[in-house]
Amino acid sequence: MMWLPHDSVLTAALTCATLPFLSMAVILIFTRAYPRVSCAISVSAITVCLGSTLYLLLTLRHAPEAVEYQWAWIISGDMVIPFGFLLDRLSLLMLTIVAVISFLVQVYSIGYMHGDPGFSRYYAFQSLFAWAMMTMVIAPGMLQLYIFWELVGLASYLLIGYYYEKWSASQAGKKAFVMTRLGDIGFFLGIITVLLGFGDLGIQHMNAAAQAGDIHPWVVTLGALLIFCGVVGKSAQFPLLTWLPDAMEGPTPVSALLHSATMVAAGVYLMSRIFPFFAASPDAMAVALIIGTITMLLASTMAMVTYDIKQVWAYSTVSQLGFMVMSLAAGGYFAGVFHLTTHAGFKALLFLCSGIFIHEYHTNDMREIGQGGGRKLTIPMICMTVGALALAGIFPFSGFFSKEAILGVLAGYPNKIYLGAGLLGALMTAYYSFRLIFFILFPRPSAEGAPHHEDHHSGGHHGHVFWTMAWPCMILATITLGLGFFQNELQGYLLGHGAVAHGHEAPEHGGHGLGHYLLLITAVSLAVGGVFFAYLEFGWKKASQKGFLSKFPAVEALFANRWYMDHFYRKALDLLVYCGFTNIFTRNDRRVIDGGIDGICRFTVGGGRAVSFLQSGMLQYNLVLMVAAIGVLVLVFAL
Amino acid sequence: MNSLSVYLIIAAALFSLGLFGVLMRRNLIGMLISIELMLNGANLNFMAFNRFLAPEPAVGQIVALFVMGIAAAEAAIGLSLILALFRRLRSINIERAQRLRG
Repeated sequence: MMWLPHDSVLTAALTCATLPFLSMAVILIFTRAYPRVSCAISVSAITVCLGSTLYLLLTLRHAPEAVEYQWAWIISGDMVIPFGFLLDRLSLLMLTIVAVISFLVQVYSIGYMHGDPGFSRYYAFQSLFAWAMMTMVIAPGMLQLYIFWELVGLASYLLIGYYYEKWSASQAGKKAFVMTRLGDIGFFLGIITVLLGFGDLGIQHMNAAAQAGDIHPWVVTLGALLIFCGVVGKSAQFPLLTWLPDAMEGPTPVSALLHSATMVAAGVYLMSRIFPFFAASPDAMAVALIIGTITMLLASTMAMVTYDIKQVWAYSTVSQLGFMVMSLAAGGYFAGVFHLTTHAGFKALLFLCSGIFIHEYHTNDMREIGQGGGRKLTIPMICMTVGALALAGIFPFSGFFSKEAILGVLAGYPNKIYLGAGLLGALMTAYYSFRLIFFILFPRPSAEGAPHHEDHHSGGHHGHVFWTMAWPCMILATITLGLGFFQNELQGYLLGHGAVAHGHEAPEHGGHGLGHYLLLITAVSLAVGGVFFAYLEFGWKKASQKGFLSKFPAVEALFANRWYMDHFYRKALDLLVYCGFTNIFTRNDRRVIDGGIDGICRFTVGGGRAVSFLQSGMLQYNLVLMVAAIGVLVLVFAL
Repeated sequence: MNSLSVYLIIAAALFSLGLFGVLMRRNLIGMLISIELMLNGANLNFMAFNRFLAPEPAVGQIVALFVMGIAAAEAAIGLSLILALFRRLRSINIERAQRLRG
């Protein structure tokens, strides 16, 4: 540890990689009975981490190349798997996002989780989450990344199933764990493929070698596709997307964290992390593009019919992740990462605002919140509208810029189907996000009224708790308003001077002609059209507050039931597991395991019989054995 | 007809017949007679080796004489045992002798 004082960058990186873990350990071991202390420990740990992260970002902002610290960790023959930190532009950006969002979420949680019996446990898991994610982000090698990737999965399992006494919550936690694990199997196989085919798991080496063509194309394609399985699981892409809406069972701040900076962002981060590796395989990119498009469209349709406020945002996260994957797969490295950044801001904002409503009215149903007087909560209402405007892609909110960048990339892609899908997605996004806003802004009086909500509401509005929750929202709203204008700075920072630059960025640079403005106008008018359409159906005074989809009950049911994907999985599970595997396993159990043990028993009994036969006192039996033994001896020595 | 192997084969046949008798007979007297047969098979081997291979011709015959002496002693002891058994059990079937315990 004597080198600590000499290298401030390393110290800062180490802080990020250890402090949240220490905080978790201290909370779990010592301060579980003192919620206030636990909370203070966790929040101060994340504050220090935020400080170190910002320090790192400011110090290394102009660094010409990535800073890497490595210590040999697993040594086997010629192969050395290191453990350490890789601080380059991408990881620093992501580290900042994680630190900022985690910090705001933890502060917000002081209010939201106030009085919860598991307050200490909650903060311990939050620390675990922050630790896993931050160390994952700065991992220099795939194996370290994978380990913390799994830890992120564990933390999300713990937090989604936080209300473990609730059946649905524990089920949702399990579902998230198992479904992401399905993807992780592929991820792990991908790592093994790369290890066998290339022999080095260093991210920079992998990227450089894949770009230079030093890895066999088959290894790259197979490795990229298998690693993409991990992305599919973690980022809830088709076909593993149904766990994410269920993950809404966790506390709302957890959803905000999960959806913006940690769990689901990890998948997209991984994809951008090894983007050059991916880009070296056109086949893998094509597959990813298709998957991203399907995910984006499916999730958007689902968001159009649900009434659960958090599920709308959950579906929208899935669809925005689909956008990011599309962008990355179409070669738009910057657009994807930029959308990841802006999305982290406004999605956290949306969730945190929804959390205030949920905390205030104790319901997730957007109609009940509207009827209860949700519009009277001015600050969260304004903040949420800002978030929704950003999500819909309206100028000048951050989502506008990043979505524009993605559409620009898709416009530059040879196959225009994806551009069409992207525009359709943009329209649907605007529609469903404002459907929610209008439900709360323009409530229709309900039959029974809701006087008890009014009482409760006037009581806690301007309390300490409210402000603890409100100011993170305001910060995020400011970020959402301002971040978009830093597009060029971010692009300059991220693409740097040849650090990640390669031919794939062409569409973004070259798209400033007439076609670009045409696209811009189309996208904006589609977004505004979506908002207007939502206004006609839900906002307008004489509006029926029934979506056009309610005229098609079959379609509505299809969307509301998530395209029956869960039913399909249930059926597939029944068929495959309950009839297929278990059958084989039952037979194995009966025939091989039980049969084997029975056989051994039978042999023992038979052997006992045979020996007792010799003990009968019959002289001649002993003689027979003697003669046989001599015969055997003769055979052995004679032959 | 004057080679060693012929004698050896006959001796082995005698021995095997004796062994078969020992293993299969239930009558103790029969078993005793079968043992004599085995001993004679062994004797025949001694004589044959003595005749064809040994540098000193008298040794095999002496051994054969010893075997005969031992066989006679064994027959005397065996018969007295059988007599004792018969007095006790009223039978010389060997399966009855299983009852001897302790």
